[in-house]
Order: sequence, then structure tokens, then C-alpha cells
Amino acid sequence: MLKKRLIFTLLYSRGHFMLSRNFRLQKVGDFNWLQRNYDFSHIAYSIDELVVLNVDRDGACQKEFCDVLKLLAKGCFAPIAAGGAVRSIDDARALLRSGADKIVLNTPLYESPELVRALAAEFGQQCIVGSVDVKRSESKGYAVFSSCGALEIEADLSGWIDQISAESVGEIYLNSIDRDGTGQGYDFGILDSLSRKIGVPVIFAGGVGNTAHLAAGLADSRIDAVATANLFNFVGDGLKKARRTLVDSGVNLPLWNIELMERHFASLRKVAQ
Amino acid sequence: MTNNSVTIVDYGMGNICSVVSAFNYLGCDALVVSDPDLVASADTLVLPGVGSFRKAMTSLREQELDLALEHAILNRGRKILGICLGMQLLGERGLEDGETHGLGLIPAVVERFSIDEVRGSKIPHVGFNSVNVPPGSRLMAGLPAEADFYFVHSYRMLPDGVPGLAANCVYGVEFLAAYEHANIFATQFHPEKSQSNGLLLLKNFIECA
Repeated sequence: MLKKRLIFTLLYSRGHFMLSRNFRLQKVGDFNWLQRNYDFSHIAYSIDELVVLNVDRDGACQKEFCDVLKLLAKGCFAPIAAGGAVRSIDDARALLRSGADKIVLNTPLYESPELVRALAAEFGQQCIVGSVDVKRSESKGYAVFSSCGALEIEADLSGWIDQISAESVGEIYLNSIDRDGTGQGYDFGILDSLSRKIGVPVIFAGGVGNTAHLAAGLADSRIDAVATANLFNFVGDGLKKARRTLVDSGVNLPLWNIELMERHFASLRKVAQ
Repeated sequence: MTNNSVTIVDYGMGNICSVVSAFNYLGCDALVVSDPDLVASADTLVLPGVGSFRKAMTSLREQELDLALEHAILNRGRKILGICLGMQLLGERGLEDGETHGLGLIPAVVERFSIDEVRGSKIPHVGFNSVNVPPGSRLMAGLPAEADFYFVHSYRMLPDGVPGLAANCVYGVEFLAAYEHANIFATQFHPEKSQSNGLLLLKNFIECA
């Protein structure tokens, strides 16, 4: 039986990891800072997938982003999805060569569906994660945004999800702009508003502030994976503790021997470096 | 462990860097090689790969890597680990893009999951799934009776009638998730993407005689 997933999302822009609240970004620290304060390898042991997004508004520094991705991939033995500023097959290939297994796309879903189709043809549909940013709306219930939350697209949420999942997207990363970075918990209203079951796996994001929020997401049959991008809510070994609580409560997550990773491989890791 | 090294066969298909970094993490040198002479004389081989069976076999044959692999494995008795498409290539034949002969080291046919056998589940089979670890497995020693691994594939081999030790996974149908027989080892899943379970498996592969 397929397992559900606990996903950690890192947001990166021009040399820094970022914290996002309602899609407003704040610098936190660089790669060394991430290693110092979070011992990234420990976070990486406790998750089932890593998402790394280049959230620079101008899509700058793709090369530098690839370098950071390579550093992260060295210590992460779980699948990695990367994205942000992918505007060509070469951009996607550069991410895949830097350690990514999947490509996360948002704006191209709207602006250049032909690119999305070409990427799916080149790398397979399972390689494409469609990112869908949504916000509560008076008129539509929920509105969909592209361009890092800056541009509202005309389609309604249900129609949009049907459209992108019917064609080229192997998975959907569904994020709430309203809840993003607030720690208030997931907005399940997003899923309630859909007229049909989503035909591809759903990664749910936006609002996680504690372990109970993750548990609520994992308990929902419409959700295949829960994601959190909030560095501060799971500081130190917070994510490891959260995972243990979830596994102990019987959530259908893959079982890792995190202690084995930490103890047994620590000496080998030193040799390797 | 530090004196170990593996030779990773590079025939232009798929992401090799995560396989390299997993072996490096285990204190093992990973040489990425596409020269058939180096493959033929290697001690420990890894055949990774993602993509189409036919394309991969064509590429191996064009570079005479098929002959080099046969020499190392059959004549010199060196061990090999096939990962994902690399496992499938060890099979008898593959039915992706028409029928293609494989390396013939695992007597099984590589076929697409049928819609009937997966019983409504999606194809490709993507994600973490649990694998039944057979007692006495060298590759999976130290793992619990069921261990989780990361899969991404649409084609599979069935365990029926294969010699050696089969580790199975159920996705509607029971299929061959890992295989070991004498010096031939293979995993349909990606150990390099399967956290502690995968690293332990790779460590076992390096260490087993």
C-alpha cells in the first residue's frame, strides 16, 4: 500500500533561505546558517520528500540556485522536487542534474502550457508537480494565482485543477496564500470547494504551525502528502519529534530508522567528507 | 569501508548524481564510467537508469557496454546492482516501445503494469511502498520483515519462477521489487531515495562477498 508523505519545503532567493507569510518574503539565512541552526541533515532524515523553490521574483540566479540544490541533495536521501523560474527544458534539466527528481511548475501552467507538455514528454508526467496557489475570494470561493501570488487567473479552482491534471501534471502542490506562514492550520475549505476528486496525488501546504496540523492533513483521505515551509515551527529536532508523534499515532508514513541514520552513518559521513 | 569503490555504468540515461552521493556518503568511492574496458575490468558494478528500455539497450549495445557487463559478471563473477531501469535491463526482454532483448541475467520479462492488475491504482506506481524482505537476504540484511522504499515505474517483472531470492511488493499485483542470485542484485525501487532503508541496502551490497 502506498504511504503518505511528510514534506519539508525550503524557499530560496539570492543567497538566502526565506520565510514566507501570505507570500511576503523575509530573509532568514544562507546555507551555512541552515546547517548551523537546523542541522539540515537531521531534518533530511525525518522527511519523505524535500521541496526546494527558487522564490526570487525575477527568477534570477538560476545557476546559484542549482549550486545550493547540489549541496542540499548531497545530504538528502529522499526524493527532491525543485522549481521556481523554470522557463525552458534546459532550466528543468539543470535542476534535474543538480539533484532534483521532479520539477515544480506554477506560472508556466498558465503562461506556457506547451512548455509543460514538452517537459512531461521529455521527463515523464511523474516528474511534473503543478503548484497551485489559492486565496479565498468573495466571488469565486477560491481564486487561483500565478506569478508568486501576484496574478489572478480567470479559471475557477476546480476547472483549473481538472485542466492541469488531465494533461501534463503528475502531482499537485496546493498552497493557501491566506494561511501561508501563519501557523493557523490548513484551510480544508479549499478541498471542500472542489467539485470532483483530484485525479493525481495532492501535496497540501499553507498554515502548518504544529504537529496536530500535520496530523489533521494526513488524516484527510483527499491529501497524499503534507508540506510545511515554516522553518521556525520545527526548529532543531522539531520535525523529527513531529514525525515520531505521527508514526506513533498510526499515520501511514514510511518508517525510517532515523537513529540509525544519525548514529551509524555519522562516522562514515565524516570519512566521506 | 573506505577502501571500497563501485563502478557506476554511465550510458546516458537518468540521474546518476544521487546514486554517486549515496555511495560517497557511505564512505565509498563511486567511479562514473562509460568506457567498456573499465566496465569489463571493474570489481563492483552499479547499473542505474531511468527512461525507456529500448533506448537504454540500444545505448548499451552501441557503446559495447553489454559485452563488457557480461564479461565482468559472467566470466569474472563480479557483483552487480541494477537499480530501477537498470534492474529491468538485467531481464530477459522488455516490452517497452516494442520487444527488445535485455542482458538476460534475470529470467523474467519486463512488461507494463496492466490496468486490470493494478485494480484502479494509478500508473506509474510512484511513491513509498512496503517491500516484503525475504529471510536470508544479503541485500536487505538488518531490515525489518517489511521495509519501505521509493518507487517510480510503469514497467515491472513478476516473481513467478525466477531462481534466487525475490523481495516482493504489492501494487494490485505482486511484483518483483528486489532480486538477488549469486553475484546478481537488483532493485526496482530507488535505494538512493529511500532514507535509512536504502542506505543500509547499499551498504550491504558493498560489503557482501
